[in-house]
Amino acid sequence: MRTALILLLLLALASVMGSLIPQYPNTPERVAQYKIDHGLFGSFLDRAGLFDVFGSWWFALITFLLFVSLVACLVPRTRALIRSLRSRPVQAREIDSFRHYAERNVAAAPEAVIAGSRRILRRRMFRVASDPARPALAAEKGAAREVGSLLFHWAFILILAGVIYGKGTGFSGYAVVVEGDTWIDAAANYDGQIRTGRFFGGDFTGTGLRLREFESAFRETGQPMDFVSRVDLIDADGSTIRSQDIRVNHPADVNGIRFYQINFGWAPRIVIRDAAGAAFDDTVVMDRDPAPEGIPDFAMPWRGVIKLPGAGEGSNAPDRAVELELWPDSRALFALLNGDEPQAMLTEFEPVIRYTVWDGRLTELATNAFDTTFMRETTSGILGAGRTVTLGGGDRAAGNGGGSSATIGFPDLKQYSVFQVSRDAGVPIVLLAAILILVGLLPALYTSRRKVWVRAEPAGTGAGSVLKVGGFALQRRPQFEDEFAKLLDALTDEAGGVPTDRGERERVSAP
Amino acid sequence: VTDLQWARVSNDAFTVALFAYLAAMVGYFAYLAFRREAIWKVSRAVAFAGLGANLISIIARGFAADRVPWGNMYEYSVLLSLLVVAGYLLIVEGMYKLRTLGGFALMFSVLTMAVAVSFLYVGPGPLVPALNSYWIKIHVQAAIWGSSLFALGGIVTILYLFQDRWERREIESLAAKQPPPIMGGAVDLSAPAGLDTDVDELGAAAVAAPKRGRLPSAQTLDRVAYRIIAFAFPIWTFAVIAGAIWAQEAWGRYWGWDPKETWSFITWVIYAGYLHARSTSGWKGRPAAVIALVGFVSLLITYYAVNLWIVGLHSYKGF
Repeated sequence: MRTALILLLLLALASVMGSLIPQYPNTPERVAQYKIDHGLFGSFLDRAGLFDVFGSWWFALITFLLFVSLVACLVPRTRALIRSLRSRPVQAREIDSFRHYAERNVAAAPEAVIAGSRRILRRRMFRVASDPARPALAAEKGAAREVGSLLFHWAFILILAGVIYGKGTGFSGYAVVVEGDTWIDAAANYDGQIRTGRFFGGDFTGTGLRLREFESAFRETGQPMDFVSRVDLIDADGSTIRSQDIRVNHPADVNGIRFYQINFGWAPRIVIRDAAGAAFDDTVVMDRDPAPEGIPDFAMPWRGVIKLPGAGEGSNAPDRAVELELWPDSRALFALLNGDEPQAMLTEFEPVIRYTVWDGRLTELATNAFDTTFMRETTSGILGAGRTVTLGGGDRAAGNGGGSSATIGFPDLKQYSVFQVSRDAGVPIVLLAAILILVGLLPALYTSRRKVWVRAEPAGTGAGSVLKVGGFALQRRPQFEDEFAKLLDALTDEAGGVPTDRGERERVSAP
Repeated sequence: VTDLQWARVSNDAFTVALFAYLAAMVGYFAYLAFRREAIWKVSRAVAFAGLGANLISIIARGFAADRVPWGNMYEYSVLLSLLVVAGYLLIVEGMYKLRTLGGFALMFSVLTMAVAVSFLYVGPGPLVPALNSYWIKIHVQAAIWGSSLFALGGIVTILYLFQDRWERREIESLAAKQPPPIMGGAVDLSAPAGLDTDVDELGAAAVAAPKRGRLPSAQTLDRVAYRIIAFAFPIWTFAVIAGAIWAQEAWGRYWGWDPKETWSFITWVIYAGYLHARSTSGWKGRPAAVIALVGFVSLLITYYAVNLWIVGLHSYKGF
């Protein structure tokens, strides 16, 4: 037990470090800042795995050792418990030296006293064994304490099993879905990296989620009130399973995977046409600029970039990129231009987009990063919802007159919703283990093992006998004092004695 | 009655409760010092009055905000104060018949409320969507009940450590005053083998006599602290489990080593260590009490430090 406790303490100490040093899985941006701020010390922490304490090899090692020592502790205890549950209570040679002891003069004969006592003890849930040699009983009660304690401790092994199974075979990723679109559960459709377990078989379900509508509600203070994604859940064969509202605290559970409402944002539909026709016609998922200290989150504009390789104008068909800055509530932009206080943009109100067109060579085509090193700004402007404008700039120097033929349109503003999609088949196991922990904890803390011995000897004079009762409790001794006195009264009463008739040798509590 | 009026009722009742607790605290300390029955009766009555005002403050707050009144740190603190005082009156005074600890329990509530109103006050308002779940009733209630009982156990533990030290000193000084026993006419300066038990009895006698300014015996305090902590532990365990179930619903994972999760786990581990230490020979008494004290500090970190200074999902000081 001592080893297990020391390892548990080590685990707690590691957890303290994990809560004081920023952790990569929880707050990656703070880890990056910490590394910048602390230089050499930061890289030392990184080397030691202190930016991911709970995923580090030594945390796993402590956990592993803890469980090994726990099992090493529990196996003999469980064996001992089974042995003691199978065996009969052991007779005592001397019973008057126990912590509690009393004698009573009773009317019944010794054999009748023992038979009566057996009934009483059985009724009180004692396990009783009679002495073959003489009229005597040994009884005990309270195995629930050890059973509960073992249940409590074994349940942690079950938790470990549930965690390993659930995390090992499960995954977790993010799905970004624009209103009106359908997202399918397949590896390619996740946004960013999918966190998969070690035994994950790549068995995506093909389940579809169609986002009919996203709604957000805010208080006047700008405090968020409710986010709802109204979705249709579609099976892999294309049949609709059901329609559901997904909101914070109300995930959708379908085909073994769950969709959680995590985030949301704006996605304008943008149409760019050049001389050859439509170069781009899609919704653009925008990211919100991080708000500086003291400015409401929703006061910041949303940004996105459209990359059009080979769509630039001029000789050699350079690449083109259109940078977008969306103001869902144009009043906030005008407030900014007037030098007024920043305004939170909580609902759509005459949205506008400020765009900048770049021509040149695109470098990072695969990612969202936008590198302007090899590009130059050709034109920029402002565009209201429902409007289409001509991109004025273009490479006029080329003299082919194409410059002004391209247009950009902003027909529609939609919202997008971000879901966490995850599967953890271990959850029911862990939940069961958690329930067992509680179920085991209560008897382990609040019951006690008690042992009682009863003896009946013929009275020295006339009929009747002397009832002798001894006993002790291994835990909760003050409570047993009362229980023993009551048990003694019941035994005396059953044997035809007078409960108030205190024998000459009376000792209810310890010497 | 409008929300604004309810909010005023809540704030006024809070002030009444704070001052009632303060008065009762002074009264209980006076009772500890002078042991006059009348002082105790008055202090107890004032503490009950404060409890009533505290309860009104919480209920009115619930009406003002149209939701459960434990949605932010201010409200949590007010409820915590109520439960610590109620726990003291019911458990320590009611079940264990100890009247001298009232000043300390009330001091904890007074400090909690003073911190709440000075640094954590926010007007009654709605909850953020993440908190808007029926689990707030289950998880937060369990956490508050567990915390208040751990706090009460922590207070008794601190008093135990003081009393235990005082008793040891008293016994030492009594042993020093003992004249050397006379054996066979000669003065034997080395103590006979039986001296230890004699000293223990002397010490126990000195401690048993109720004296002015004296706390209950260390043994009693140790037992009461243990009872309260053993009562709190399953509640805290349940609070952590309920939190994990809620996290599974709200954040899509039952455990993510968020600072709050981490610290509630650390607190749990320390108290589990205390319960084991209590049943291990050589760890009973002082060493176990020191573990319980560390658990109490960890509890305070779990509540204050994690919410206010450590960035995580539970950093909702405001709403």
